[in-house]
Amino acid sequence: MQKTRVLQRLETLQEAVAKIDGRHASFARRNRSRGHNDGSVVDFDIAAIDGVFEGGFPAFALHEVRCSLTRDIGAATGFLAGLLAGCMQQRQGRIVWICDPACRLDGGQLFPAGLAMFGLDPARLVVVQPVDLKAALWASDEAAKCQELAGVIFQVKGNPRNFDMTATRRLMLKAQQNGQFIAILRQGGEEEANAAATRWHVRAQPSTVDPDIQRGIGLLRLNLVLERNRHGQTGHWTIAWNQKTHGFEHAPTNYVDRPALSSDRSDGAPQMGQVMAFERAS
Amino acid sequence: MRLVAVDACGREAGLRMDQTLSDARALFPDLDVFDHDPAADAVLLLAIAAWCDRYTPLVALDRSCQSDGSAAAVHCAGLLLDITGCSHLFGGEEVMLLDVVGRLRAAGLMASAAIADTPGAAWAFARYSDRQIITSGDHQRHLLDLPLISLRLDMPMLDMLKKLGLRTIGCIADLPRAPLAARFGNGLLQRLDQALGRQEEAISPRLPVPELSSERVFAEPIILQDDIERTVGQLAGHLRQRFDERQLGARALELKLFRVDGHVACVRVRAASPVYSIDRIVMLFRERIAGFHDDLEAGFGFDLVRLNVLESEARQSEQGDLTGGSMRGEGFSNLVDKLGARLGTDRVQRFVAAGTHIPERSFGLLPEASCGKKDAGAQAVLWRQDNHGHEGDGPAVLTRPVILFERPEQVEAIAEVPDGPPVRFRWRRTLYRIERSEGPERIACEWWRDGRGGHSRDYFRVEDDQGYRFWMFRLGLFERETGNPKWFMHGIFA
Repeated sequence: MQKTRVLQRLETLQEAVAKIDGRHASFARRNRSRGHNDGSVVDFDIAAIDGVFEGGFPAFALHEVRCSLTRDIGAATGFLAGLLAGCMQQRQGRIVWICDPACRLDGGQLFPAGLAMFGLDPARLVVVQPVDLKAALWASDEAAKCQELAGVIFQVKGNPRNFDMTATRRLMLKAQQNGQFIAILRQGGEEEANAAATRWHVRAQPSTVDPDIQRGIGLLRLNLVLERNRHGQTGHWTIAWNQKTHGFEHAPTNYVDRPALSSDRSDGAPQMGQVMAFERAS
Repeated sequence: MRLVAVDACGREAGLRMDQTLSDARALFPDLDVFDHDPAADAVLLLAIAAWCDRYTPLVALDRSCQSDGSAAAVHCAGLLLDITGCSHLFGGEEVMLLDVVGRLRAAGLMASAAIADTPGAAWAFARYSDRQIITSGDHQRHLLDLPLISLRLDMPMLDMLKKLGLRTIGCIADLPRAPLAARFGNGLLQRLDQALGRQEEAISPRLPVPELSSERVFAEPIILQDDIERTVGQLAGHLRQRFDERQLGARALELKLFRVDGHVACVRVRAASPVYSIDRIVMLFRERIAGFHDDLEAGFGFDLVRLNVLESEARQSEQGDLTGGSMRGEGFSNLVDKLGARLGTDRVQRFVAAGTHIPERSFGLLPEASCGKKDAGAQAVLWRQDNHGHEGDGPAVLTRPVILFERPEQVEAIAEVPDGPPVRFRWRRTLYRIERSEGPERIACEWWRDGRGGHSRDYFRVEDDQGYRFWMFRLGLFERETGNPKWFMHGIFA
């Protein structure tokens, strides 16, 4: 009896703190629903990544996934699709994918069969293609207001000026209020300060060796850099998508399966200095 | 060159239609002549027809005459309005007719009009008689004095009748029918019967009649957007009762704004689910009007606002829960409506699967608002089957990219052997060296769509030395279909 009263008291205190400090709202919610998981917290099932999130990865928040080059958009979309599929397992409802018209010019379009392979049901997606960025921003704002949506993805090219701290903070607040997974997919953009809970930089990485086929493509590997994390530390990992288990797994970077190549240069580093032959000593 | 139309002054001076231009010029050297422009006439007539919607929903363009641009055709041009049950709204037939003619005259158009029991009789009286309103049942008596041309007959038949000395409708109305039909065919008798009301004649309205409609006339024209929104709210309030009686909701709505100067603006919206609440209808129109890049040109204001229901559907029997929360699914369809109204319904889309293996044709994007809920269920199953097929004993790698280019982009590729995977290629001015590749996956062309001579595609999944994974294909089988196959970039893997 005494114990439950203490727990209740603790809970109200935690809620009060959460109310004062908006950023711990998801943390408080997790504590409250420790018994039954309502999908507000997701695990990557990768110990190294789960470790950096104090209180678990908050699904109901604003996240950002970016890639620096347009050709990385495949890697970024794939990572987001896998992340989204993980977050959507507990949650019913449709997902709105808003696409800035500038992205379509060189970034291609979503391929539903490919998304389905990441476990994301294409029938749940609503694709919105506004005519200009202003309309796209308005659409993302409207979508975030809707409580019945499970998620909102806003695909944007580069760093548009209108999409600033205020706009992202509004999205973040709505994500926490309405229990939505909101993500910015930034194609070919720079690092930028905004209100997102996490920011991931994704880059394609050579795949693992396929044991069956010579010169075949093994598990797809992605280079992940967690550039920003409001709930803990940052870090960088290499993960691989395993189609058999339908999930990401940690692919340690320390083994060498392709020795002669540097991962980020097409050719080896040029040799420093000059090569000279010494006179024979004898 | 001949005259096709003459105004009142010209007629008084003695000019006639079908006169040659040189004759007319000989009479009046300073005659003003303009080229006949049938297309512009047709546009003007359509605009007047749209304006006439304020009197009745049944407005038909007169198609009884051939539109070959001849003098006769110009003379025939006109509108037929079915005002059954409408005249009392304007204070009786006489007042209504004066209103129509007076407003058109104020706009600078000379119009002659007549009201009669049958379309044929009204046509005849409007053109060949001074009588404007023929009381019900009298038209047969008055028609007998009119010339035969008022029966909408073609010229050869009129000439033949003239030679026989038959000049008025009275001459043929009482003649024995069988010899008339034998001599002139059924056309004459049909026109006669239609004019006299012995045979039913239907007019074909220009627009489908809306299922429900509500309108409001303003003594003082409204200009402000707020006023328009408020009016939409009031009109939707009128419709609400009808909706509730029939348990219906609107899927497509149309707002017609009649401007003082005769221009008619039309705003259409579509809803994802049947709408009946006033707020949602007002919201749809507000977003639609906000989505226009330029405002509605109000000019001197709108004096008639009408809300039409073009499509309606039975309401879904969903109940709100007892805790007072909103109905399930309401929020989502509200969002789709709102986005669709502002951005255009064809910009809010969903994926649908199509039964083909050609990647860019294997899916489509359809407007979310036009898909019913039943379709959604079927589609979900389809994707899931697709998914399971790969999951079971499929390959351990992803076989389809997440990003697809709508149009495959041609690349310069070098392959070791003509039918093998590429070794390096240049795409968007960047050179890629391929380290690993898998394939080919052959997708044959669809001969039933592309016809003979279409090329098969050999798809390869390739990975370059930096880890980028692409989906490329070679168009055409080497030596069998083409000697110099081209390479295309089609997608990007994760």
